[in-house]
Amino acid sequence: MLSFARWDGFSPDWQWTGLSNYTDLLGGDIARSPQVVNAAAQTLVGMVVVPIAVPLIGLLLALLLNSIRRMRALMRTVYFLPYVTTGIAVFYAWRFMYEPNGAVNGILNAVGLDFLSQPDGFLGNVNTALGAVVVVQVWSAVPIAMLLYLTGLQTIPDSVIEAARIDGATSARTVWSIILPLLNPITALVVILQLREAFQNYQVYLLMTNGGPVDSTTTLGLLTYNYGFGAPSDFGYASALGWMLALAAVVLAIVSFRILRSRQ
Amino acid sequence: MNTASITPRDTVRRKSALTAGQRTAKVTSRLIVGSLLAVYAVVSIFPFAVMVGGALKTNQQIISNPLPFTSPPTLQTLADTFDALNVPLLLFNSLVLAIGACLLVLLVYPLAGYAFAVLRFPFKRTIFAVFVGVLFVPGVTVLLPVVILDQNLGLYGSPLAVILPHVNGSAAIAIILMRAYYATIPTELHEAAVLDGCSEFSIFARIYFPLSRSALITLTILTFVGSWNEYVLPVLTNDDPNRFPLPVGLQSLLSSNVVQWNQVMAAALIIVVPIIILFVFLQRYFINGLQGSVKG
Repeated sequence: MLSFARWDGFSPDWQWTGLSNYTDLLGGDIARSPQVVNAAAQTLVGMVVVPIAVPLIGLLLALLLNSIRRMRALMRTVYFLPYVTTGIAVFYAWRFMYEPNGAVNGILNAVGLDFLSQPDGFLGNVNTALGAVVVVQVWSAVPIAMLLYLTGLQTIPDSVIEAARIDGATSARTVWSIILPLLNPITALVVILQLREAFQNYQVYLLMTNGGPVDSTTTLGLLTYNYGFGAPSDFGYASALGWMLALAAVVLAIVSFRILRSRQ
Repeated sequence: MNTASITPRDTVRRKSALTAGQRTAKVTSRLIVGSLLAVYAVVSIFPFAVMVGGALKTNQQIISNPLPFTSPPTLQTLADTFDALNVPLLLFNSLVLAIGACLLVLLVYPLAGYAFAVLRFPFKRTIFAVFVGVLFVPGVTVLLPVVILDQNLGLYGSPLAVILPHVNGSAAIAIILMRAYYATIPTELHEAAVLDGCSEFSIFARIYFPLSRSALITLTILTFVGSWNEYVLPVLTNDDPNRFPLPVGLQSLLSSNVVQWNQVMAAALIIVVPIIILFVFLQRYFINGLQGSVKG
């Protein structure tokens, strides 16, 4: 309803505008549609990087953890910590690490990689800010991928791997041709969960950069939030963009379920 | 040289050489595995180390050295943060939100999960698909209607304004989790209870609910952590500082021009520590519950 009107949330009457909120956002308005395009591009970066990086690191960790006996439980707890604690406190710890004189720069200087350090801080540089936030997203999502893979690895019967070894397969070969295909359903699940997460998550961007510097980390979710609750709030645009996001999410979900079902 | 010339002694020697080679290979692969695991452990824990280190430093120390554990520690920062933030009040408000959400979630969703797993009713699959589909609707989309609804219901400023949307928002995951768990309980148990004359509700309350301990603990941790970390909803539905939860209080530390990072880290630590304690104590059940829902 709101998406067809212009309303700042305070004045008593709405101004009906029909579909114009949608057309404005999709190219009609020279002020707003570039914002949407920009945000869409940045959302897309996350939607490509996160669903690729998370399963890769998660799988590697799960394989390594599965190959050791001692300290496995302890390590699992350590690795899992980022998942349960993700929230404002951890985002601020990362913000502090990314500061101009923060820990990340400190480490880079200490190991002689000075050229990689960022004098303005990683979140202050237009070129590194988005990457820096994506790293945090990956960091907090890896644990759940690792856990899902560990679960999957434990359901693979030892006899299958034993048989491969007797046939003379190397460890790498066993992982590639036997374990990976058996884990396909889990990979599909992880990728879908991360696609959804990368598409929807706006809190990490809100709390770490609030879209800056110069809109270099504004994603579609954050843009919607700012239309709705930013300084000149316009609930009409916010809910129009929100509806478009929801629609895209539903399409994404349907495609995902199709893929999941065909994999099983 | 033909094979006949190989003496038993040669064979033995060759065998032991092979095992020595295998042993070095084994040791190197162990070393690689171990160091990779250690590297990620550091990556995983580093932000927490930074928090602890920062919280134990003065402002001067933290500016000159952002790395954890290098300067003589001080407890003054923690004391200052307690003064600056009124931590007991924030803690209380956070607990009200988190415990309220947990209780409601534990009251409602195990029942829903039971219904989807065990009972037969029309359109069961469709309704379940709708609940799962909700998982994919972006949170931002519903944020605006939720805030307006809170205002219209006169809940603005009350803890319920945060608890109710939060409980509602966790419906999808909670129902999937509980349903998966209840689906693993053998139906014979249900049939036997029916034969004994148990009502549907008492089957749930006396058999299924107590059996699902690890799923319930998983659900509790997920809900607790979610609402403990919730920042956006309390900000949008509350402007009374006496009702702020911890995350909103933390944010106020950053509103000044010069950010005192040592205090921010101390506050962050105060937020994170209860979650870590909860997780470490209940992690066995928690992880089993999560894994169970994947297998099921």
